[in-house]
Amino acid sequence: MAATARNALLKYLRVQVEAVPRNPSTTSSSVFLNSFNALRRHFSTEEVRGSFLDKSEVTERVITVVKNFQKVDPSKVTPNANFQSDLGLDSLDSVEVVMALEEEFGFEIPDNEADKINSISLAVDFIASHPQAK
Amino acid sequence: MGGSSGPRLSGMQRQVLGLYRGFLRAARLKSIEDRQKIESIVSAEFRHNAKHVDRKNFLYIEYLLRRGKKQLDQLKSPDIDGLSSLDVGLSQTHHTKA
Repeated sequence: MAATARNALLKYLRVQVEAVPRNPSTTSSSVFLNSFNALRRHFSTEEVRGSFLDKSEVTERVITVVKNFQKVDPSKVTPNANFQSDLGLDSLDSVEVVMALEEEFGFEIPDNEADKINSISLAVDFIASHPQAK
Repeated sequence: MGGSSGPRLSGMQRQVLGLYRGFLRAARLKSIEDRQKIESIVSAEFRHNAKHVDRKNFLYIEYLLRRGKKQLDQLKSPDIDGLSSLDVGLSQTHHTKA
């Protein structure tokens, strides 16, 4: 079970990583351990190879993207802000925000994950634990 | 849509959001100019329906979903810029009422 899951994941990673060479500006080598633990929680496998972004960098970039969203009052954007209750966004806006994050980080977020992302912190957690984020 | 309700979405809401996401993804593959036009038309259409369609009118929402999926399939074709087919969609919604 775990082995098949790991193989599926590795295959998935290999294909995607070379496919999207966007955002060359960000370094991928820094802080491995934080995100590594997050990934373990996600996939319960220990030998996944990939590079993870530093969580504080992810937070900063997510906040910048959300602040630039035209319907958002930039002063309300905090690391813990909820898209709907704090920022006043509806579910269509949330889709747009998550799509903008995909473009910022150069990878595609599947629908079932995207539907769950309704706050800055959930977005940061997901992106920081995702080896394809650039 | 949704209002202040939490992250729990009905199956139908998820289908609508998935369709919206599909349109935005398809728009990314067009030229910058077409992309902006498509995004503004699609966004206006979804927001119009979110506001004016009775959220309990499942039959009509299902119809809109089916129609949207067909339009999305057409939009995905590389030689379609999407505008004319979407215009038809917009004008239709003015007649239909819950």
